[in-house]
Amino acid sequence: MKNGVNAPRLLGYGLGGALVVTGFAGLVVDAHLTDPLGWALWFGGLIVAHDGVLVPLVLLTGVAVGRMRSPSPVRAGLTVAAMLSLLALPMVTGLGRRADNPSLLPLDYGRNLLVVLGLVALGTALAAIAVRLRARRRRG
Amino acid sequence: MVRDSVTRDRVETLLRSVPGRFGSVLHSERVAARLGLWLGISFTVAFATGLFSHFMQHPPGRLAWPSRPVGLYRITQGLHVIGGLATIPLLLAKLWTVYPKLWQWPPFRSLSHAVERGLVLVLVGASLFQSITGLLNISYVYLWPFSFPAAHYWTAYLLYGALIIHVVNEWAKVRRQLWTREQVEPREVVTARRRFLGTVAAASGLTVLFTVGETYAPLSGLALLAPREPHTGPQGLPVNKSAAAAGVTTVIHDPGYRLTVTGAVRTPLSLTYDDLLRLPQHTVRLPIACVEGWSAEAEWSGIRLRDLAALAGIAPDAVLTVESLERGGGYRSSEVRPPHWNDQLTLLALRIGGAPLAPDHGFPVRLIAPNRPGVLQTKWVSKVVAA
Ligand code: HEM
Repeated sequence: MKNGVNAPRLLGYGLGGALVVTGFAGLVVDAHLTDPLGWALWFGGLIVAHDGVLVPLVLLTGVAVGRMRSPSPVRAGLTVAAMLSLLALPMVTGLGRRADNPSLLPLDYGRNLLVVLGLVALGTALAAIAVRLRARRRRG
Repeated sequence: MVRDSVTRDRVETLLRSVPGRFGSVLHSERVAARLGLWLGISFTVAFATGLFSHFMQHPPGRLAWPSRPVGLYRITQGLHVIGGLATIPLLLAKLWTVYPKLWQWPPFRSLSHAVERGLVLVLVGASLFQSITGLLNISYVYLWPFSFPAAHYWTAYLLYGALIIHVVNEWAKVRRQLWTREQVEPREVVTARRRFLGTVAAASGLTVLFTVGETYAPLSGLALLAPREPHTGPQGLPVNKSAAAAGVTTVIHDPGYRLTVTGAVRTPLSLTYDDLLRLPQHTVRLPIACVEGWSAEAEWSGIRLRDLAALAGIAPDAVLTVESLERGGGYRSSEVRPPHWNDQLTLLALRIGGAPLAPDHGFPVRLIAPNRPGVLQTKWVSKVVAA
């Protein structure tokens, strides 16, 4: 496409293109398993949810945090907290629990997430204090 | 007419200005290159371990996987799932970094630019699809109409193909950013970038720390956010499909139970549970390694599959099919190819830790073999067919 055409580039496009075609063909050939319409709704839905909802929320939060006095530790703490919450969310909802199998999702995920978020908050608070102390020492 | 074109110019100027309005210095080529490198490595690991898992479950032709090393599948699938979860923070950070580019104006400068952006859309969609449905799948939340393994399998090709093309297109930038030293950057930019990448790495690392104990038992106490605890379940072992879910709670206690060995055999066998107990018993320590990434070790006792094969006079290069009392379901039978059934560690197990199998673990008899996904460790076995 750009920067001229050379052998490695063509090889990359060939290989990549072949894999993409294989993927789409497989989704269609196995339609009884992949349910192309349902697949497309998830594929597109996740893009829309990410680009249209998640990132705008993150950007707004970022603007708010940027107005704080020492934003860096808060920014880092919120980022880590949000990502671990996303990881835990499906388990916290307990949607996957089944009465016949208590070995599946055996923990109290709501409590565990609170413990994890508490640790992240503690780390963030300590980092914020350290930042302030260092700033004061530099000034004083 | 004139008014119209003035308005159009204003809108045009506004649209062109959007990408520049994202203030953070982190929306940079340098950050994108660094995160892209990390993502490229982890997607390569995911694709390789995923294909390994697929072809272990669906070996093409006569391909026979080795039965050793014992814990190989446990490690590859653990890498796949725990590594996949650790990739989510990298992916979200990368997409945030390049988000301003989503709003570039004009959206398509040329046909080749349109194709390039179309493939980036495939890459983004497939990455989100693989990681988010993957996360939901290991949390047992199946909110979709498709078969997860089938959709996940084909989407992996889409993802990796689009990734290769993307890497080819961006390689010059990656080289410039990561392997060209003489860059003059303000101190704050460098500090901000280090902090951001450090934060993302921390999120990834904590993801691993809080989940890896579901497969690496010494860290099970830290597995606060893992869907499994490797010591929790009947007989201290997790279960995937219960006897109730398989609809076998009554039939497994039928006094008329027989284990039959048929097909390409010299002597067909039909053995009662007591007959099985009278055959030479062996004890092995083997993990159950689930496709969902968790694994747990147990002490299994029972008869060696190869002893049973010898008793029935089965040729050493035969392929065995082990069938369950379960009526239907995708995993009611599994194939055991020569390297696996000739391995002395492969048992038709009758006991866990000295006690008869719990119904959920496959009473009266289950298959347990080294280096093999849990879905192929058939439970409630009643038939072995040689071919
Ligand atoms: C958070 C991320 C991910 C998670 C949690 C995850 C989870 C899983 C699980 C549970 C399976 C087993 C499915 C089964 O046999 O029932 C699997 C298989 C597989 N995964 Fe992933 N995965 C993730 C990301 C990826 C990515 C990024 C790729 C590709 C680059 C990929 C490619 C594959 C492939 C090819 C298989 C084999 C499917 C089959 O057996 O047909 N996965 N994955």
